[in-house]
Amino acid sequence: MIKQWWGNLRARCATCSRITLGLGVFVGALLIAGLLLTAGAAGLAWTNTEQFCIGCHEMRDNVYAEFKGTIHDVNRSGVRAICSNCHVPHEPWPLIKRKMRASFELWGHLMGVVDTKEKFEAHRYTLAKRVWTRMKETDSLECRNCHHADAMDPEKQSEKAKARHAKGKAEGLTCIDCHFGISHKEPDGPGPQELKLVKP
Amino acid sequence: MKTLIAAAALAFASTAQAQNADAGAAEALMKKSGCFKCHSVSAKKDGPSYKSVAEKYKGKPDAEATLFKHLTTGPTVKIDGKEERHEIIKTKSEAEIKNVIAYILSR
Repeated sequence: MIKQWWGNLRARCATCSRITLGLGVFVGALLIAGLLLTAGAAGLAWTNTEQFCIGCHEMRDNVYAEFKGTIHDVNRSGVRAICSNCHVPHEPWPLIKRKMRASFELWGHLMGVVDTKEKFEAHRYTLAKRVWTRMKETDSLECRNCHHADAMDPEKQSEKAKARHAKGKAEGLTCIDCHFGISHKEPDGPGPQELKLVKP
Repeated sequence: MKTLIAAAALAFASTAQAQNADAGAAEALMKKSGCFKCHSVSAKKDGPSYKSVAEKYKGKPDAEATLFKHLTTGPTVKIDGKEERHEIIKTKSEAEIKNVIAYILSR
C-alpha cells in the first residue's frame, strides 16, 4: 500500500527527485504530528480548567459547591488549588492514564448516575473511596505536587502537627490518610486509614 | 418512678435537640476550630469519631454538660499514650457551642 502511494506521488511530480519528495513527505509528516500534539496538549489543558470541571451540574452543584470557601479555594496568600490540581496528576504518563480513566465518567454523566442530589449522596462514599484508593496507591501524588515533605520545616509547625507528621512517617501513612474531607464533605463510612491497601 | 420519668424526659429532650442541630453552622465552627484535624464524623483519626462519641453519650442526661466542659476548658487528653491539651472551641457563644454539641450527638 505504501509502495503504491509512493508510486502515485512520484507520478504526480515527475520532475521531483526522490530526495526532494522524501524530504517533502518528512516535513509534511512532522507538521501533521506537531499539529496533532499541539491540539492534544491544548485539549488536555482545556479539560484541566475549572470551567471545564464545573461544566456539568453534577460537579458544580455538589463537590464544587462544597469546595467553595475551603482552604484550597480562599486563603491568606491567594494561592488556589483548582479541581485538576488535586485530582489530576501533573506528570505526563500518569496524567494521560488518569484522563483515559476519566473518560468513563462521561458515560456516567450520560447515564445520569449522579444527576440528582439524592443519587450523588447515595454514591458519595463510593466516589470518595475511589479517590482515596488512588491517592493511597500513588502516595498522595497530587498533594505532593505542591506540598513537598522535604521542604516542610517542622520548626514552623505546631507541636501537634509536628508530632502527627512524625507519627505518620513512622507508620508509613500518606497525606490522604489524615487530610481527607478538607475540600468536600466527609462521606459516611470507614476512612482512608481503614482501607487496607498495599502501597507500591 | 418520678426520677425515671425525669431522666427519660431529659434523654428525649437531648435527642430532640440533637436532631435540631444546624449542621452547616456547626461544621463551619468546627472547621474554624480545627476539630476535624483530629476527629472525623465516622472514620478513624487520632481522636474518637463523632459517631462513637454520640454512641457513648446516647441517652445520657449529662451528655451536653460533659461535652460543653470538654470543648470549653481544654482538658488533658491522651493520644498514643502522650498527654496533650484538647483545643478550646473558637467561640464564646453558648448557643453556637450547644449547636456543635447537638451536631455531634446527632451523628
